[in-house]
Amino acid sequence: MGRINKKIKKTLNMYPVVRNQPQYPSGYDGLSTPERRKQLAEFISEDGTFLPKSVLHADLDKGMLDFVKDKLKISVSGKGISVVDQILTIQRWAEFSNTWSFSDKDLNPEIPFLVTVRNPAVQYGSNPSLLYTIPDRRTFHYAKVPTWDGQRKGMDLYKIPQPVPVDITYNLKIVCNRMRELNQFNKVMMQTFTSRQAYTFVKGHYIPIILETISDESQISDNDKRKFYTQDYQLQLQGFLIDEEEFEITPAVTRQLMVFETDTRTKKRDPGPTKENPLSVFTETFTTDNTTLVIPFEFDANVTVIDTDNISNYIVGITIDGNTESVDPEFTTYYLSRGQSLKIEIVPIVGGDPMSITLQTKFI
Amino acid sequence: MSDKRVPITRVNKFFGDEDFRLQESMGMEYLHGNLNFTLVLYRVDRSKSVVDDVYGEASEEEIRYYPPVEFKALVNISAPTNESYAGGLMRYLESGNLTISVYKKELEQLGVDISYGDYIGYPETEDFTRYFTVSNDGRVAGDNAHTILGYKSFYRTITCVPVSENEFKGI
Repeated sequence: MGRINKKIKKTLNMYPVVRNQPQYPSGYDGLSTPERRKQLAEFISEDGTFLPKSVLHADLDKGMLDFVKDKLKISVSGKGISVVDQILTIQRWAEFSNTWSFSDKDLNPEIPFLVTVRNPAVQYGSNPSLLYTIPDRRTFHYAKVPTWDGQRKGMDLYKIPQPVPVDITYNLKIVCNRMRELNQFNKVMMQTFTSRQAYTFVKGHYIPIILETISDESQISDNDKRKFYTQDYQLQLQGFLIDEEEFEITPAVTRQLMVFETDTRTKKRDPGPTKENPLSVFTETFTTDNTTLVIPFEFDANVTVIDTDNISNYIVGITIDGNTESVDPEFTTYYLSRGQSLKIEIVPIVGGDPMSITLQTKFI
Repeated sequence: MSDKRVPITRVNKFFGDEDFRLQESMGMEYLHGNLNFTLVLYRVDRSKSVVDDVYGEASEEEIRYYPPVEFKALVNISAPTNESYAGGLMRYLESGNLTISVYKKELEQLGVDISYGDYIGYPETEDFTRYFTVSNDGRVAGDNAHTILGYKSFYRTITCVPVSENEFKGI
Protein backbone atom coordinates (compact mmCIF):
# COMPACT_ATOMS: atom_id res chain seq x y z
CA MET A 1 0.00 0.00 0.00
CA GLY A 2 1.39 3.35 -0.95
CA ARG A 3 0.93 6.42 1.13
CA ILE A 4 -2.28 8.34 0.68
CA ASN A 5 -1.75 11.62 -1.12
CA LYS A 6 -2.68 14.29 1.38
CA LYS A 7 -3.89 16.56 -1.40
CA ILE A 8 -6.85 14.32 -2.09
CA LYS A 9 -10.02 16.00 -0.91
CA LYS A 10 -11.87 13.65 1.38
CA THR A 11 -14.87 15.80 2.13
CA LEU A 12 -16.54 15.90 -1.25
CA ASN A 13 -20.25 16.53 -1.01
CA MET A 14 -21.87 13.72 -2.96
CA TYR A 15 -25.19 15.56 -3.10
CA PRO A 16 -24.37 19.14 -3.95
CA VAL A 17 -27.10 21.73 -4.00
CA VAL A 18 -27.71 23.18 -7.43
CA ARG A 19 -27.49 26.93 -7.43
CA ASN A 20 -30.16 29.19 -8.86
CA GLN A 21 -32.60 26.31 -9.32
CA PRO A 22 -34.66 26.15 -6.17
CA GLN A 23 -37.13 23.81 -7.85
CA TYR A 24 -34.36 21.22 -8.24
CA PRO A 25 -32.42 21.30 -4.98
CA SER A 26 -30.67 18.07 -5.89
CA GLY A 27 -30.25 18.80 -9.54
CA TYR A 28 -32.52 18.13 -12.45
CA ASP A 29 -34.63 15.05 -11.76
CA GLY A 30 -35.08 14.07 -15.39
CA LEU A 31 -38.83 13.88 -14.99
CA SER A 32 -40.35 17.32 -15.11
CA THR A 33 -39.64 20.00 -17.69
CA PRO A 34 -37.09 22.45 -16.34
CA GLU A 35 -38.41 25.92 -15.65
CA ARG A 36 -35.84 27.51 -17.89
CA ARG A 37 -36.85 25.30 -20.80
CA LYS A 38 -40.45 26.31 -20.28
CA GLN A 39 -39.41 29.93 -20.27
CA LEU A 40 -37.49 29.52 -23.52
CA ALA A 41 -40.47 27.81 -25.13
CA GLU A 42 -42.66 30.70 -24.04
CA PHE A 43 -40.27 33.16 -25.66
CA ILE A 44 -40.67 31.33 -28.95
CA SER A 45 -44.45 31.08 -28.92
CA GLU A 46 -45.10 34.45 -27.29
CA ASP A 47 -47.69 36.60 -29.07
CA GLY A 48 -48.37 33.95 -31.65
CA THR A 49 -49.53 30.46 -32.32
CA PHE A 50 -48.25 27.28 -30.76
CA LEU A 51 -45.76 27.04 -33.60
CA PRO A 52 -42.54 28.99 -33.66
CA LYS A 53 -42.45 31.99 -35.92
CA SER A 54 -40.41 31.96 -39.10
CA VAL A 55 -36.80 32.99 -38.74
CA LEU A 56 -35.47 34.01 -42.11
CA HIS A 57 -32.60 36.09 -43.42
CA ALA A 58 -34.24 39.44 -42.76
CA ASP A 59 -34.95 38.45 -39.16
CA LEU A 60 -31.33 37.49 -38.60
CA ASP A 61 -30.19 40.77 -40.15
CA LYS A 62 -32.54 42.63 -37.86
CA GLY A 63 -31.14 40.68 -34.92
CA MET A 64 -27.65 41.78 -35.85
CA LEU A 65 -28.71 45.41 -36.14
CA ASP A 66 -30.41 45.25 -32.75
CA PHE A 67 -27.29 43.71 -31.29
CA VAL A 68 -25.13 46.54 -32.64
CA LYS A 69 -27.54 49.21 -31.46
CA ASP A 70 -28.09 47.76 -28.01
CA LYS A 71 -24.76 46.24 -27.09
CA LEU A 72 -22.11 48.08 -29.06
CA LYS A 73 -23.20 51.66 -28.95
CA ILE A 74 -20.58 53.95 -27.49
CA SER A 75 -20.17 57.58 -26.69
CA VAL A 76 -17.08 59.71 -26.62
CA SER A 77 -16.91 62.98 -24.69
CA GLY A 78 -20.59 62.63 -23.86
CA LYS A 79 -21.63 62.37 -27.48
CA GLY A 80 -22.93 59.10 -28.88
CA ILE A 81 -21.54 57.65 -32.05
CA SER A 82 -24.22 57.39 -34.71
CA VAL A 83 -25.31 53.94 -35.89
CA VAL A 84 -26.66 53.25 -39.34
CA ASP A 85 -29.81 51.33 -38.49
CA GLN A 86 -30.07 49.47 -41.78
CA ILE A 87 -28.22 46.77 -43.60
CA LEU A 88 -27.00 48.61 -46.65
CA THR A 89 -27.48 46.97 -50.00
CA ILE A 90 -26.31 47.71 -53.50
CA GLN A 91 -29.54 49.43 -54.42
CA ARG A 92 -28.45 53.01 -54.81
CA TRP A 93 -31.85 54.50 -54.23
CA ALA A 94 -32.07 52.82 -50.84
CA GLU A 95 -29.01 54.68 -49.75
CA PHE A 96 -29.80 57.91 -51.54
CA SER A 97 -33.32 58.04 -50.20
CA ASN A 98 -32.02 57.70 -46.71
CA THR A 99 -31.95 60.99 -44.95
CA TRP A 100 -29.22 60.28 -42.49
CA SER A 101 -29.84 61.79 -39.14
CA PHE A 102 -26.14 62.50 -38.98
CA SER A 103 -25.50 64.03 -42.38
CA ASP A 104 -23.54 67.18 -43.04
CA LYS A 105 -24.42 70.09 -45.28
CA ASP A 106 -23.42 68.10 -48.36
CA LEU A 107 -25.82 65.34 -47.18
CA ASN A 108 -22.85 63.06 -46.65
CA PRO A 109 -22.83 60.87 -43.53
CA GLU A 110 -21.02 62.66 -40.82
CA ILE A 111 -18.32 60.79 -38.98
CA PRO A 112 -17.98 59.17 -36.51
CA PHE A 113 -20.48 56.41 -37.17
CA LEU A 114 -20.94 52.67 -37.13
CA VAL A 115 -22.21 50.79 -40.14
CA THR A 116 -23.06 47.12 -40.55
CA VAL A 117 -22.40 45.57 -43.92
CA ARG A 118 -23.59 42.06 -44.67
CA ASN A 119 -21.68 39.73 -46.90
CA PRO A 120 -24.31 38.82 -49.51
CA ALA A 121 -23.23 35.17 -49.60
CA VAL A 122 -24.89 33.24 -46.80
CA GLN A 123 -23.02 30.01 -46.11
CA TYR A 124 -24.27 26.70 -44.78
CA GLY A 125 -24.03 26.87 -41.02
CA SER A 126 -21.16 25.68 -38.90
CA ASN A 127 -23.05 25.52 -35.62
CA PRO A 128 -22.29 21.96 -34.51
CA SER A 129 -25.64 21.50 -32.81
CA LEU A 130 -27.40 21.70 -36.17
CA LEU A 131 -24.78 20.47 -38.58
CA TYR A 132 -25.76 17.55 -40.81
CA THR A 133 -27.57 15.73 -38.02
CA ILE A 134 -30.78 14.81 -39.83
CA PRO A 135 -30.96 14.11 -43.55
CA ASP A 136 -33.64 15.49 -45.85
CA ARG A 137 -36.42 17.66 -44.52
CA ARG A 138 -38.24 15.19 -42.36
CA THR A 139 -40.63 16.78 -39.93
CA PHE A 140 -40.66 16.04 -36.23
CA HIS A 141 -43.14 16.39 -33.44
CA TYR A 142 -43.15 19.87 -32.00
CA ALA A 143 -46.38 20.09 -30.03
CA LYS A 144 -49.78 18.54 -29.50
CA VAL A 145 -52.45 21.18 -29.54
CA PRO A 146 -56.02 20.60 -28.32
CA THR A 147 -58.78 21.56 -30.73
CA TRP A 148 -62.51 22.17 -30.41
CA ASP A 149 -64.71 22.93 -33.40
CA GLY A 150 -67.88 23.38 -31.41
CA GLN A 151 -68.86 19.71 -31.65
CA ARG A 152 -65.75 17.67 -31.55
CA LYS A 153 -62.84 17.76 -29.19
CA GLY A 154 -59.58 16.65 -30.68
CA MET A 155 -55.84 17.06 -30.88
CA ASP A 156 -53.68 18.41 -33.68
CA LEU A 157 -50.11 17.32 -34.14
CA TYR A 158 -47.71 20.11 -35.03
CA LYS A 159 -44.59 18.95 -36.78
CA ILE A 160 -41.64 20.99 -38.02
CA PRO A 161 -38.40 20.04 -39.77
CA GLN A 162 -35.00 20.63 -38.28
CA PRO A 163 -33.95 24.27 -38.75
CA VAL A 164 -31.39 24.92 -41.47
CA PRO A 165 -28.12 26.24 -40.09
CA VAL A 166 -26.67 29.31 -41.76
CA ASP A 167 -23.60 31.42 -41.20
CA ILE A 168 -23.89 35.07 -42.09
CA THR A 169 -20.81 37.24 -42.14
CA TYR A 170 -21.12 40.88 -41.21
CA ASN A 171 -18.51 43.61 -41.36
CA LEU A 172 -19.05 46.10 -38.62
CA LYS A 173 -17.16 49.23 -39.56
CA ILE A 174 -16.39 52.18 -37.39
CA VAL A 175 -15.46 55.35 -39.23
CA CYS A 176 -14.02 58.09 -37.08
CA ASN A 177 -11.18 60.53 -36.94
CA ARG A 178 -9.85 60.11 -33.44
CA MET A 179 -7.89 57.34 -31.83
CA ARG A 180 -9.90 57.77 -28.65
CA GLU A 181 -13.06 56.75 -30.47
CA LEU A 182 -11.34 53.68 -31.83
CA ASN A 183 -10.12 52.77 -28.37
CA GLN A 184 -13.54 53.16 -26.85
CA PHE A 185 -15.20 51.02 -29.46
CA ASN A 186 -12.47 48.41 -29.33
CA LYS A 187 -12.88 48.21 -25.56
CA VAL A 188 -16.61 47.58 -25.87
CA MET A 189 -16.03 44.94 -28.55
CA MET A 190 -13.40 43.15 -26.50
CA GLN A 191 -15.59 43.17 -23.42
CA THR A 192 -18.59 41.92 -25.37
CA PHE A 193 -16.68 39.12 -27.06
CA THR A 194 -14.41 38.22 -24.20
CA SER A 195 -15.92 34.72 -24.27
CA ARG A 196 -15.49 34.60 -28.04
CA GLN A 197 -19.19 34.80 -28.65
CA ALA A 198 -22.10 37.01 -27.78
CA TYR A 199 -25.78 36.49 -28.37
CA THR A 200 -28.55 38.31 -30.09
CA PHE A 201 -32.20 37.52 -29.56
CA VAL A 202 -34.32 36.77 -32.62
CA LYS A 203 -37.98 35.87 -32.12
CA GLY A 204 -37.31 34.00 -28.93
CA HIS A 205 -34.10 32.31 -30.04
CA TYR A 206 -30.65 33.10 -28.77
CA ILE A 207 -28.35 33.32 -31.79
CA PRO A 208 -24.59 33.26 -31.25
CA ILE A 209 -22.31 35.81 -32.85
CA ILE A 210 -18.59 35.21 -33.08
CA LEU A 211 -15.90 37.83 -33.48
CA GLU A 212 -13.63 36.58 -36.24
CA THR A 213 -11.12 39.21 -37.28
CA ILE A 214 -10.31 42.86 -36.82
CA SER A 215 -8.65 44.76 -39.60
CA ASP A 216 -7.75 48.34 -40.29
CA GLU A 217 -8.68 50.14 -43.49
CA SER A 218 -7.84 53.63 -42.35
CA GLN A 219 -7.09 56.26 -44.89
CA ILE A 220 -3.94 57.70 -43.44
CA SER A 221 -1.19 57.13 -45.98
CA ASP A 222 -2.14 59.78 -48.50
CA ASN A 223 -1.18 63.12 -47.03
CA ASP A 224 -3.18 65.08 -49.55
CA LYS A 225 -6.47 63.42 -48.77
CA ARG A 226 -8.80 63.69 -45.87
CA LYS A 227 -7.67 61.33 -43.14
CA PHE A 228 -9.95 59.17 -41.10
CA TYR A 229 -9.89 55.83 -39.36
CA THR A 230 -11.88 52.88 -40.63
CA GLN A 231 -11.74 49.66 -38.69
CA ASP A 232 -13.49 46.52 -39.72
CA TYR A 233 -14.75 44.00 -37.18
CA GLN A 234 -15.79 40.85 -38.96
CA LEU A 235 -18.56 39.02 -37.14
CA GLN A 236 -20.10 35.69 -37.93
CA LEU A 237 -23.69 35.11 -36.94
CA GLN A 238 -24.36 31.41 -36.52
CA GLY A 239 -28.07 31.36 -37.10
CA PHE A 240 -30.66 29.06 -38.55
CA LEU A 241 -33.64 29.30 -40.81
CA ILE A 242 -37.10 28.25 -39.75
CA ASP A 243 -39.63 28.47 -42.53
CA GLU A 244 -43.27 28.18 -41.53
CA GLU A 245 -44.07 27.04 -45.07
CA GLU A 246 -42.50 23.74 -44.07
CA PHE A 247 -44.60 23.22 -40.97
CA GLU A 248 -47.11 20.39 -40.91
CA ILE A 249 -50.30 20.28 -38.92
CA THR A 250 -52.09 16.94 -38.91
CA PRO A 251 -55.15 15.87 -36.91
CA ALA A 252 -54.16 13.28 -34.34
CA VAL A 253 -57.14 12.20 -32.22
CA THR A 254 -60.80 13.22 -32.48
CA ARG A 255 -63.29 12.49 -29.73
CA GLN A 256 -67.01 12.75 -30.51
CA LEU A 257 -69.56 13.36 -27.78
CA MET A 258 -72.88 11.55 -28.46
CA VAL A 259 -76.01 11.96 -26.30
CA PHE A 260 -78.79 9.33 -26.09
CA GLU A 261 -82.22 9.47 -24.50
CA THR A 262 -83.35 6.13 -23.08
CA ASP A 263 -86.34 4.70 -21.17
CA THR A 264 -85.33 4.64 -17.56
CA ARG A 265 -87.96 2.04 -16.58
CA THR A 266 -86.64 -1.43 -15.95
CA LYS A 267 -88.30 -4.35 -17.73
CA LYS A 268 -87.65 -7.97 -17.06
CA ARG A 269 -87.02 -9.91 -20.21
CA ASP A 270 -88.01 -13.50 -20.74
CA PRO A 271 -84.97 -15.68 -20.70
CA GLY A 272 -84.17 -17.36 -23.99
CA PRO A 273 -83.85 -21.13 -24.17
CA THR A 274 -80.47 -22.56 -23.47
CA LYS A 275 -79.08 -26.02 -23.07
CA GLU A 276 -79.29 -25.64 -19.32
CA ASN A 277 -82.82 -24.23 -19.54
CA PRO A 278 -84.31 -25.71 -22.77
CA LEU A 279 -87.96 -24.81 -22.09
CA SER A 280 -89.37 -21.46 -23.04
CA VAL A 281 -92.98 -20.29 -22.90
CA PHE A 282 -94.12 -17.16 -24.65
CA THR A 283 -97.40 -15.60 -25.73
CA GLU A 284 -97.98 -13.97 -29.07
CA THR A 285 -100.89 -11.58 -29.65
CA PHE A 286 -102.86 -10.98 -32.82
CA THR A 287 -104.94 -8.15 -34.17
CA THR A 288 -107.95 -8.12 -36.42
CA ASP A 289 -105.77 -6.92 -39.30
CA ASN A 290 -102.99 -9.37 -38.70
CA THR A 291 -104.11 -12.91 -37.94
CA THR A 292 -100.93 -14.63 -39.19
CA LEU A 293 -97.78 -15.22 -37.17
CA VAL A 294 -94.40 -16.25 -38.58
CA ILE A 295 -91.62 -17.24 -36.16
CA PRO A 296 -88.20 -18.09 -37.65
CA PHE A 297 -86.14 -20.57 -35.67
CA GLU A 298 -82.40 -20.47 -35.44
CA PHE A 299 -82.15 -23.70 -33.53
CA ASP A 300 -83.77 -27.08 -33.51
CA ALA A 301 -86.83 -27.13 -31.27
CA ASN A 302 -90.15 -28.83 -30.50
CA VAL A 303 -93.01 -26.35 -30.33
CA THR A 304 -96.29 -27.05 -28.56
CA VAL A 305 -99.42 -24.88 -28.42
CA ILE A 306 -100.44 -24.93 -24.78
CA ASP A 307 -103.16 -22.25 -24.67
CA THR A 308 -105.28 -19.99 -26.85
CA ASP A 309 -107.48 -16.99 -26.08
CA ASN A 310 -110.40 -15.82 -28.29
CA ILE A 311 -109.26 -18.21 -31.02
CA SER A 312 -111.74 -20.69 -32.47
CA ASN A 313 -109.30 -22.46 -34.77
CA TYR A 314 -105.77 -22.21 -36.06
CA ILE A 315 -103.73 -23.70 -38.92
CA VAL A 316 -100.08 -24.47 -38.39
CA GLY A 317 -97.54 -24.63 -41.21
CA ILE A 318 -93.78 -25.02 -41.42
CA THR A 319 -91.90 -22.97 -43.97
CA ILE A 320 -88.88 -24.71 -45.46
CA ASP A 321 -86.84 -22.79 -48.07
CA GLY A 322 -89.81 -20.49 -48.80
CA ASN A 323 -92.34 -23.33 -49.18
CA THR A 324 -94.95 -23.67 -46.48
CA GLU A 325 -96.38 -27.07 -45.74
CA SER A 326 -99.51 -27.36 -43.56
CA VAL A 327 -99.36 -29.66 -40.57
CA ASP A 328 -102.11 -32.12 -39.87
CA PRO A 329 -104.45 -30.76 -37.15
CA GLU A 330 -104.04 -33.98 -35.22
CA PHE A 331 -100.47 -33.00 -34.30
CA THR A 332 -100.08 -30.74 -31.31
CA THR A 333 -96.29 -30.69 -31.22
CA TYR A 334 -94.22 -29.50 -34.17
CA TYR A 335 -90.60 -30.19 -34.84
CA LEU A 336 -88.65 -27.33 -36.44
CA SER A 337 -85.07 -27.41 -37.57
CA ARG A 338 -82.68 -24.52 -37.75
CA GLY A 339 -83.58 -22.13 -40.59
CA GLN A 340 -87.22 -23.18 -40.73
CA SER A 341 -90.15 -20.94 -39.72
CA LEU A 342 -93.35 -21.69 -37.87
CA LYS A 343 -96.43 -20.13 -39.50
CA ILE A 344 -99.73 -19.92 -37.56
CA GLU A 345 -102.97 -18.58 -39.03
CA ILE A 346 -105.85 -18.07 -36.59
CA VAL A 347 -109.58 -17.64 -36.78
CA PRO A 348 -110.93 -15.40 -34.01
CA ILE A 349 -114.03 -16.12 -32.00
CA VAL A 350 -115.01 -12.49 -31.53
CA GLY A 351 -113.44 -10.03 -33.93
CA GLY A 352 -112.00 -6.91 -32.32
CA ASP A 353 -111.26 -8.56 -28.97
CA PRO A 354 -107.67 -9.42 -27.97
CA MET A 355 -106.44 -12.71 -29.39
CA SER A 356 -103.40 -14.59 -28.23
CA ILE A 357 -101.74 -17.93 -28.40
CA THR A 358 -99.25 -19.37 -25.92
CA LEU A 359 -96.45 -21.54 -27.22
CA GLN A 360 -93.90 -23.67 -25.47
CA THR A 361 -90.60 -24.35 -27.19
CA LYS A 362 -88.08 -26.90 -26.14
CA PHE A 363 -84.49 -26.50 -27.23
CA ILE A 364 -83.16 -29.75 -28.66
CA MET B 1 14.94 83.17 -40.75
CA SER B 2 18.50 84.12 -40.23
CA ASP B 3 19.47 87.57 -39.07
CA LYS B 4 22.29 87.63 -41.56
CA ARG B 5 21.23 89.19 -44.83
CA VAL B 6 22.93 88.36 -48.11
CA PRO B 7 22.28 90.49 -51.18
CA ILE B 8 20.79 88.63 -54.12
CA THR B 9 22.74 89.52 -57.21
CA ARG B 10 21.81 86.75 -59.61
CA VAL B 11 20.43 87.69 -62.98
CA ASN B 12 21.13 91.28 -62.01
CA LYS B 13 22.14 92.31 -65.49
CA PHE B 14 18.55 92.41 -66.54
CA PHE B 15 16.49 91.80 -63.36
CA GLY B 16 16.90 93.28 -59.93
CA ASP B 17 15.08 93.88 -56.69
CA GLU B 18 13.23 96.83 -58.13
CA ASP B 19 11.97 94.74 -61.02
CA PHE B 20 11.04 92.02 -58.60
CA ARG B 21 8.90 94.36 -56.50
CA LEU B 22 7.30 95.79 -59.61
CA GLN B 23 6.33 92.35 -60.87
CA GLU B 24 5.12 91.40 -57.42
CA SER B 25 2.98 94.52 -57.04
CA MET B 26 1.50 94.06 -60.51
CA GLY B 27 0.60 90.49 -59.68
CA MET B 28 -0.96 91.44 -56.38
CA GLU B 29 -2.91 94.20 -58.01
CA TYR B 30 -4.26 91.70 -60.54
CA LEU B 31 -5.05 89.23 -57.78
CA HIS B 32 -6.70 91.73 -55.50
CA GLY B 33 -8.25 94.07 -57.98
CA ASN B 34 -9.31 91.73 -60.74
CA LEU B 35 -9.68 88.25 -59.27
CA ASN B 36 -10.45 89.17 -55.68
CA PHE B 37 -10.71 85.65 -54.25
CA THR B 38 -11.19 86.13 -50.54
CA LEU B 39 -10.57 83.37 -48.02
CA VAL B 40 -10.62 83.21 -44.24
CA LEU B 41 -7.71 81.84 -42.30
CA TYR B 42 -8.33 80.22 -38.91
CA ARG B 43 -4.99 79.78 -37.25
CA VAL B 44 -4.84 77.25 -34.46
CA ASP B 45 -3.54 78.60 -31.20
CA ARG B 46 -1.39 75.65 -30.29
CA SER B 47 -0.51 76.98 -26.88
CA LYS B 48 -4.10 77.34 -25.73
CA SER B 49 -5.68 74.34 -27.38
CA VAL B 50 -6.38 71.42 -25.10
CA VAL B 51 -5.05 68.19 -26.45
CA ASP B 52 -4.98 64.62 -25.32
CA ASP B 53 -1.78 63.80 -23.46
CA VAL B 54 -1.21 60.48 -25.20
CA TYR B 55 -2.43 61.07 -28.72
CA GLY B 56 -2.27 64.84 -28.98
CA GLU B 57 -5.84 64.78 -30.31
CA ALA B 58 -8.35 67.48 -29.68
CA SER B 59 -12.07 67.47 -30.10
CA GLU B 60 -13.94 70.14 -31.94
CA GLU B 61 -14.48 72.21 -28.80
CA GLU B 62 -10.96 71.83 -27.50
CA ILE B 63 -9.18 73.66 -30.29
CA ARG B 64 -8.56 77.38 -29.76
CA TYR B 65 -8.04 79.81 -32.59
CA TYR B 66 -6.52 83.17 -33.20
CA PRO B 67 -8.89 85.74 -34.60
CA PRO B 68 -9.78 84.80 -38.18
CA VAL B 69 -8.08 86.75 -40.94
CA GLU B 70 -9.27 87.42 -44.46
CA PHE B 71 -6.69 87.13 -47.20
CA LYS B 72 -6.51 87.03 -51.00
CA ALA B 73 -5.16 84.14 -52.98
CA LEU B 74 -5.47 82.40 -56.31
CA VAL B 75 -7.85 79.52 -55.76
CA ASN B 76 -7.98 76.17 -57.48
CA ILE B 77 -10.45 73.55 -56.26
CA SER B 78 -10.15 70.05 -57.67
CA ALA B 79 -13.16 68.08 -58.88
CA PRO B 80 -15.14 66.38 -56.15
CA THR B 81 -14.57 62.67 -55.61
CA ASN B 82 -17.34 60.13 -55.33
CA GLU B 83 -16.18 57.64 -52.71
CA SER B 84 -17.52 55.36 -50.04
CA TYR B 85 -16.69 54.51 -46.49
CA ALA B 86 -17.48 50.82 -46.59
CA GLY B 87 -16.45 49.13 -49.79
CA GLY B 88 -18.96 50.74 -52.10
CA LEU B 89 -21.51 51.47 -49.39
CA MET B 90 -22.00 54.60 -47.33
CA ARG B 91 -21.14 56.71 -50.29
CA TYR B 92 -20.07 60.29 -49.93
CA LEU B 93 -19.31 63.02 -52.39
CA GLU B 94 -16.35 64.91 -51.14
CA SER B 95 -15.02 68.22 -52.31
CA GLY B 96 -11.69 68.12 -54.09
CA ASN B 97 -8.61 69.64 -52.51
CA LEU B 98 -8.19 73.37 -52.29
CA THR B 99 -4.92 74.60 -53.72
CA ILE B 100 -4.19 78.26 -53.15
CA SER B 101 -1.37 80.44 -54.30
CA VAL B 102 -0.75 83.29 -51.93
CA TYR B 103 1.78 86.07 -52.12
CA LYS B 104 4.33 86.00 -49.35
CA LYS B 105 4.05 89.74 -49.19
CA GLU B 106 0.32 89.44 -48.54
CA LEU B 107 0.99 87.32 -45.49
CA GLU B 108 3.73 89.68 -44.33
CA GLN B 109 1.40 92.65 -44.65
CA LEU B 110 -1.31 90.85 -42.66
CA GLY B 111 1.24 89.71 -40.10
CA VAL B 112 0.14 86.05 -40.28
CA ASP B 113 1.59 82.77 -41.35
CA ILE B 114 -0.21 79.70 -42.64
CA SER B 115 0.88 76.49 -40.97
CA TYR B 116 0.18 72.81 -41.36
CA GLY B 117 -3.10 72.05 -39.58
CA ASP B 118 -4.59 75.54 -39.81
CA TYR B 119 -8.08 75.85 -41.23
CA ILE B 120 -9.17 77.87 -44.23
CA GLY B 121 -12.73 78.77 -45.08
CA TYR B 122 -13.76 79.36 -48.65
CA PRO B 123 -17.23 80.85 -49.13
CA GLU B 124 -18.66 78.83 -51.99
CA THR B 125 -21.96 80.70 -51.90
CA GLU B 126 -23.40 83.57 -49.90
CA ASP B 127 -24.67 81.18 -47.24
CA PHE B 128 -22.24 78.29 -47.40
CA THR B 129 -18.59 78.24 -46.51
CA ARG B 130 -16.55 75.11 -47.05
CA TYR B 131 -13.68 74.47 -44.70
CA PHE B 132 -10.35 72.92 -45.43
CA THR B 133 -7.33 72.07 -43.38
CA VAL B 134 -3.83 72.79 -44.53
CA SER B 135 -2.10 69.57 -45.54
CA ASN B 136 0.89 71.26 -47.16
CA ASP B 137 1.72 74.78 -46.09
CA GLY B 138 4.10 75.36 -49.02
CA ARG B 139 6.68 76.81 -46.71
CA VAL B 140 9.46 75.44 -48.91
CA ALA B 141 9.00 77.52 -52.07
CA GLY B 142 12.48 77.90 -53.48
CA ASP B 143 11.83 75.94 -56.64
CA ASN B 144 11.96 77.67 -60.01
CA ALA B 145 8.22 77.74 -60.41
CA HIS B 146 7.82 79.88 -57.31
CA THR B 147 10.41 82.46 -58.38
CA ILE B 148 10.62 85.12 -61.05
CA LEU B 149 13.46 84.11 -63.33
CA GLY B 150 15.06 82.31 -60.44
CA TYR B 151 15.53 85.57 -58.61
CA LYS B 152 13.47 85.05 -55.45
CA SER B 153 10.40 83.12 -54.50
CA PHE B 154 7.41 85.38 -54.17
CA TYR B 155 4.44 83.12 -53.47
CA ARG B 156 3.52 79.89 -51.71
CA THR B 157 1.35 77.10 -52.98
CA ILE B 158 -0.72 75.76 -50.15
CA THR B 159 -2.67 72.52 -50.42
CA CYS B 160 -5.70 72.01 -48.22
CA VAL B 161 -7.96 69.00 -47.83
CA PRO B 162 -11.62 69.17 -46.85
CA VAL B 163 -12.51 68.59 -43.21
CA SER B 164 -15.53 66.90 -41.73
CA GLU B 165 -17.90 68.94 -39.65
CA ASN B 166 -17.05 67.14 -36.46
CA GLU B 167 -13.49 68.35 -36.85
CA PHE B 168 -14.12 71.98 -37.79
CA LYS B 169 -17.12 73.95 -38.93
CA GLY B 170 -16.11 77.55 -38.38
CA ILE B 171 -16.10 79.60 -35.23
